[in-house]
Amino acid sequence: MFKKGILRELFDKLFGKSWPMWLGGILLALLNILLFVIKYPWGASGGYVNIGQNFYQMLGVTSMGTKTIISLHTVAILNIFIILGAFISALFSKEFSIKVAPIGELVKGLIGGALMGIGATIGIGCTTGGFFSGVPALSGGALFLTLGFMVGTFVALRYLLWEMEALPNISMGKSFTLLAGSGKKAGWQRWLGWVLIAVILFIFSNYTKDGSTLHKIVGWHVFFGLILGLILQRSRYCIVRAFREPFMTGESAAPVAVMLSILVALIGFTVIKFFGVGNASETALRAIEMKSVYPHFWLRALTGGFIFGLGMTVAGGCAVGTLWRAGEGHIKLWMAAIGFVVMAPFSKKAIVPFFEKIIPETMRAKMFLPDYLGYTGAVLLILVILLLWYIFVKWNEKTGKCSAL
Amino acid sequence: MQVDQKLDCKGLSCPMPIIKLAKTIKKMDSDQVLEMIGTDPGSKEDVPAWCEKTGNTVLETKEEDGAFIFYIKKK
Repeated sequence: MFKKGILRELFDKLFGKSWPMWLGGILLALLNILLFVIKYPWGASGGYVNIGQNFYQMLGVTSMGTKTIISLHTVAILNIFIILGAFISALFSKEFSIKVAPIGELVKGLIGGALMGIGATIGIGCTTGGFFSGVPALSGGALFLTLGFMVGTFVALRYLLWEMEALPNISMGKSFTLLAGSGKKAGWQRWLGWVLIAVILFIFSNYTKDGSTLHKIVGWHVFFGLILGLILQRSRYCIVRAFREPFMTGESAAPVAVMLSILVALIGFTVIKFFGVGNASETALRAIEMKSVYPHFWLRALTGGFIFGLGMTVAGGCAVGTLWRAGEGHIKLWMAAIGFVVMAPFSKKAIVPFFEKIIPETMRAKMFLPDYLGYTGAVLLILVILLLWYIFVKWNEKTGKCSAL
Repeated sequence: MQVDQKLDCKGLSCPMPIIKLAKTIKKMDSDQVLEMIGTDPGSKEDVPAWCEKTGNTVLETKEEDGAFIFYIKKK
């Protein structure tokens, strides 16, 4: 009896109130460092692309297909299990229900997702791979991608505020809430959560039992997806918020949480890259240094980032924010995920080549900051940017100078 | 409790409930009470936080079958 009381208390602590976003930020950054050690820093858009390519393959559109099946693609697996992790977390905290938004909102989800699919393929990376991992990875292009996200978010927020005045009907109309988790009839939800955890651990052990190294790595991504999904849902960690909120409500909790993530990952990533953790030979060291550094410096990153920023703000979730909200039951974000998955492979095939033609090669280069500034200079540059950003959001929170609401 | 205005945000996800809330409150008179209903779990923290920041008062919150209900008095 005594023991049960203590465990019950722990459960309620974990799944009662939401966790502070900064706590989620630190935990996610620590897991990101581990993902780097296992294979590659966290990313999300590559998983959407892979799922989309498999989807086209299934339909027989081989020109947009891929050779990597979903079950062996680490990022696709991570994405799927983040949805499931967030689903379980929402079940445990009685926050799950199928939330069907009015039709206008569902269309906005679809369009936002499609824009994210275009932006992520042009800019090479989303807010996760390009920003959350790209900035700590000391990528010069990541800074321009981030600038693009910010401008895109700002423009799309102005649109949302305008829409509310000029076209209020878009966000009005019939909505449905099904299978709500609160109330007396919802005991099954927690049981379902436990069953799903058991199933996921079984999948994890199947992958890691005696397969190849690749199987073992993918298996760990199953496990990491579950944990990431739980943390994301409990802390409602949201990168759109970090970029949007200074211009909307003015609150600084989300941007500060994201800054903490960058700071923690910056320390871990720099150590891994500096010492070449995981490999000894010189060429391999270079390969480690260039992880999460993509050929998009600077115009390609800026362009893609802007389009992605528009999309994530209209959808109400970036690539990862879409995943955990989908797990929580928001149908608008399911529409965003579908828009992303359908558009990304198409964009890669048909839109990206156009941008590669018009953007000169010097403006879509791989740019590893330490090559120009040394490790110390590169880290200092990021710290100064974080500090300026911090001063801005705190100043704005006090004065409300830039916030619309 | 006397409710002067109602706002239905069921099915909507972040940031739409807060944008709608701000717009609705703006058009109300001082001391009037708004009943807001939403289904986004994020609203549980976002609505009180926004009210505190803007000086409006959350009189009461309820949870019914997956919906979160707030009674907000305008400053």
